[in-house]
Amino acid sequence: MSRAIEHILRDLEHIAIRHDSERRVRIDLASEALPALLELLKGRAGFVHLSAISCVDWIDSGEFELVYHLWSYELNTLVSAHIRIPRDPGVYLSVYDLYQPAAFFERDIHEMFGLYFEGSPDMRPFILTEWNGPPPMRKDFDSEAFVNQTFQWETYHPDWLKDLEEQGGGIDKRPEDIR
Amino acid sequence: MSNEREVIGIHAEAKRGNPLAHVFDELTRFCRARSLFMLHYCTGCGAIELPPAMTSRFDMERLGIQPMVTPRQADILLVTGYVSVKTLKRIILTYEQMSAPKYVIGICSCTVNGGMYWQSYATAKVLKAYLPVDMYIAGCMPRPEAVIAGLRALIDDIEADRAESWKRYYQHYDHYLGNQQSLFGDDWQTPTDILAEAEHYGLLGEHTRGKHTALLERHQRPLEALEMRLRVPEEPE
Amino acid sequence: MRPENYQAKSHPPSNEYELNFGPNHPGIEGNYALRVKLRGDRVIEARADAGYLHRGFEKLMEGRLWIQNIALVPRICVPDPTPMEVCYSLSVETLCVLEAPERAQWIRVMQLEMSRLAAHLFAFGGHAATTGLYTNMFWGVADRDLILDRFEELTGGRVYSIYNLPGGVRRDVPDGFLERLAALLDYLEARLEDYDNLFFRNQVFIRRARDVGAMTREQALEWGVTGPNLRATGLAFDVRRDDPYLIYDQLEFDVITQQAGDALARNLVRRGELKQSIRILRQIIERLPAVPGPVRVPIPNPLAWNAPAGETYTRVESSKGELAYYVVSTGGDKPYRVQVRGPSAMHAVRVLEKLSVGARLEDVAQIMFSLDACPPEVDR
Repeated sequence: MSRAIEHILRDLEHIAIRHDSERRVRIDLASEALPALLELLKGRAGFVHLSAISCVDWIDSGEFELVYHLWSYELNTLVSAHIRIPRDPGVYLSVYDLYQPAAFFERDIHEMFGLYFEGSPDMRPFILTEWNGPPPMRKDFDSEAFVNQTFQWETYHPDWLKDLEEQGGGIDKRPEDIR
Repeated sequence: MSNEREVIGIHAEAKRGNPLAHVFDELTRFCRARSLFMLHYCTGCGAIELPPAMTSRFDMERLGIQPMVTPRQADILLVTGYVSVKTLKRIILTYEQMSAPKYVIGICSCTVNGGMYWQSYATAKVLKAYLPVDMYIAGCMPRPEAVIAGLRALIDDIEADRAESWKRYYQHYDHYLGNQQSLFGDDWQTPTDILAEAEHYGLLGEHTRGKHTALLERHQRPLEALEMRLRVPEEPE
Repeated sequence: MRPENYQAKSHPPSNEYELNFGPNHPGIEGNYALRVKLRGDRVIEARADAGYLHRGFEKLMEGRLWIQNIALVPRICVPDPTPMEVCYSLSVETLCVLEAPERAQWIRVMQLEMSRLAAHLFAFGGHAATTGLYTNMFWGVADRDLILDRFEELTGGRVYSIYNLPGGVRRDVPDGFLERLAALLDYLEARLEDYDNLFFRNQVFIRRARDVGAMTREQALEWGVTGPNLRATGLAFDVRRDDPYLIYDQLEFDVITQQAGDALARNLVRRGELKQSIRILRQIIERLPAVPGPVRVPIPNPLAWNAPAGETYTRVESSKGELAYYVVSTGGDKPYRVQVRGPSAMHAVRVLEKLSVGARLEDVAQIMFSLDACPPEVDR
């Protein structure tokens, strides 16, 4: 079956296919070639199920990695297509016209990473409707610092703990001091 | 507590002329403690232990506790688990709509201090900063037995006239509103006019008004009826 | 607001209106909301509103050690937490090129099937309550509790067990556990007949649920539906059989399908899966004592455990559908990125929005419960 996939994809250029295991195939390709790849996989090999779109923020190289996980009910194979796009301006094409589930994942990636998908049906906020900060899943957003400046903490100093502290024990360090 | 109670207008001891009033109060509390309606709002993961607690195995109903679907007819607000900021707004709206006397129980460790989500940008950590909490049931998540034990403790408190957090909300409204504003922004307002209600119940305390309520009154927009109509159909069906 | 401040506006007559359905509503599963537009009592548009349960798991997991995340993952789907643990453990094992010992794999499958039984019983209960059949809800929850008792005996936790870890499970099954589990299965199997009489052959349920929220197989594939909801449209696909993990390829079970694709068919698929789960558990009870070996392999010091750089996409079949984890490691002691693909991310959002259109308002709750949507999986 892996032979079949390679046969279908022989026309695409600059594409690296790797077989991770019996039913897992990894494909690396340039971002421009992705729509053609998906179209081939869907049309010729029965990859009708878009399992997920994953986004990884590679902040050091200034790139977002997008991974499209496709499953074929006929070949029983999972193909993960990896592309990289520049972090700035962070715009890519929607694959909604090929795969309807993409609408959810693209909307999710848009609000969590700030990556915009052109042609996606709905890019309005969904989960973070009441959030004013930067896209929280980006690596440059520090959740802990945000928490410390936004939320109150419960001070917990019961009497039994005071006794312990007088003897030199107890919890007197915050977690970040330990780490 | 005794100092606070003197502030409370209509419940102040001095106004009582009828010697039977205390007997009547006790009877009211007895009945109230035995017919509690619990708001059916699953705010977090602790809600998964409520169906077992409510149904045949642990059977909360034998204590007179039943789920209730509308806030206005409910007595207990169970905050079952972590509260994200988005949920917290709804919890406050819900709480303010409930009719007094009303009780809040914070279930799970997350309502006490954020629990294992202490790092999370999305959840509020300390529930009692935004709402007066009568009782916490700690655990992650507390078992149905613990939930029932907590509710029984609340029943005892109600009978002994100790569960008075709802009065604290009116008397210290400025404090709670200040915390709410710091999280939701200065233009935060709810449809319920707490200040007018406090006046109505005779629960205006010296901490009811303050700089935060002044801010609220400056921002407050008069509420209008929502536009319900979308469009008139061309031909009625 | 005081009533005297309220000035009602008068509107021209219209029979279209908009309704907020949830988050505080008994007809909605969990803390989730729908905004529905209605004409009369027909839904003409529905829009999901999530985020009430958002905790930012994916961000939290980037800040914690590989092993600490085990405590975090079951919270992503509260009614069915075990697949979360197992799927995360499998991901880390793939990254670290570890393999759980065979006995641990058997114990994991046992847990997964127990969890599936519990989740399905809970799902029936919820669906029955939306059609007014409360007895079934009481029974379902009470019988689920008996399974939770076995979980407690096995793992120490009723709901969140935190029993799996990369490299195996925490400890072996207690003495006499398998006998007690077998007795429980006998009870549950005898009980299924009662459920049939009470619920699955009940005309109230059948007439309410038939043709409600129906989808064809083509629609289901196009919308990304998985799990029992997909099988209810006639496609016999199960990750356990067609992309086997753990020791599912050594077990015998049938993939249950129905053709109609409506709320009734989805429930009948789950009813059939109860039987299959019991069958799988019986095989495990029979064969587990003969499986030798430890229940976990030695793992490095968890506080200084660096997983090799790499990425993996691991999926399992949860009671709700296809559950997958995408885990990326850069060789550090914490994950670089974890993505959770919950099955309800499809079912509770776009599928629910589409199936609700044209339904009557009272059936929206039924559609949501028949899809077995789990809001925390959407929000994460």
